[in-house]
Amino acid sequence: MQTILALFWLFLKVNLLSTSGIASVGLLHQEAVGTLVTESQFVQAVSFSSVLPGSDALQLAMFIGFRVAGLSGAMAALLGSILPPTVLMLGVVTILHRLRREAWVSRFIEGLTPAIAVLMIYVAFKLMLGGNGGTLNWEMLVVGAVSLAAFIFDAPPPLVLIAAGLIGIFIFP
Amino acid sequence: MNHPRLETETVESIQPSRLSIWFRLFWMFLKINLLTSSGPASVGLLYKDAVGNIMTEAQFVEAVGFSNVLPGSEALKLAMFVGFAASGFPGTAIALLGSILPPTVSMLVVALAIQNFQNEPWMNGFIHGMVPAVAMLISVAAWKLFRGGKNIRKRSLLIAALSLIALVLNAPTPLVLLGAGIFGIFLFR
Repeated sequence: MQTILALFWLFLKVNLLSTSGIASVGLLHQEAVGTLVTESQFVQAVSFSSVLPGSDALQLAMFIGFRVAGLSGAMAALLGSILPPTVLMLGVVTILHRLRREAWVSRFIEGLTPAIAVLMIYVAFKLMLGGNGGTLNWEMLVVGAVSLAAFIFDAPPPLVLIAAGLIGIFIFP
Repeated sequence: MNHPRLETETVESIQPSRLSIWFRLFWMFLKINLLTSSGPASVGLLYKDAVGNIMTEAQFVEAVGFSNVLPGSEALKLAMFVGFAASGFPGTAIALLGSILPPTVSMLVVALAIQNFQNEPWMNGFIHGMVPAVAMLISVAAWKLFRGGKNIRKRSLLIAALSLIALVLNAPTPLVLLGAGIFGIFLFR
């Protein structure tokens, strides 16, 4: 029960402090890796949620919830992720339609965005350093450089991730 | 109550039965969430399906604007706003349901399947190979988010620098984000 509550609270927090699926990975990594999930499980969650169709944020939540505490964990994580946007959206369309005119919420998000971006780079850096048992080797750098080039040339992320995984099968025995 | 404008506009322009609107909403979001894998990518598809059909262009622009401004999953907020514009609270619930179903089912199936391969050596290599790709995916997304399609503002750089310092000093991440947001309220006046 403790874990279920922890999952719910984790995703409630993550979805209050991020604006989209991929933007939430920074905070998620900081809050969950090492306590609830391992680094490897985190990488699986991020990549499979980008590969599969449908909302990344929800898939991220469900994958992690499932790995931590099975079906009930997945449901707790899903609920935690759905609640903040639902409540806020309903609040906006019903009572707070003037929210945009006051504009403090949009300024909050504007201030939040650079912090989220920095956090994401920070976590990406940590992943590169810690993903292979602590040391960064040249194979990782090559795969990273090739994927970076692919993303810059607008290759579809699911294909890049799967290709990198397949290469990994051969170069990381 | 500040929303009647949303409802009357829809009701005046098109007037099929509620049930058929509900069904169309559900099908629309089921389809979009089966075909795309992220919020921003679904905007294009949603535009084609919804504008002129169940909502006006102005309503759509408002929906996209709001879903970018509020925290939480973008895809869900967009779905709920469109659902509300089309058919009030029941529409919201139906759009939400249509959006949640595909990712839930696909993710649970994959999570179950992965569990069986967890200890295979090739699975280990596969995950290791994905690490640098995932790291780059996150970095590229961060860069796009930071630029946000506009010029980078000095104030954004200041917030970014302060956040980096806080992160390196091991400040609790939620506090860093919360602080950045509150900072933004005062800085971006």
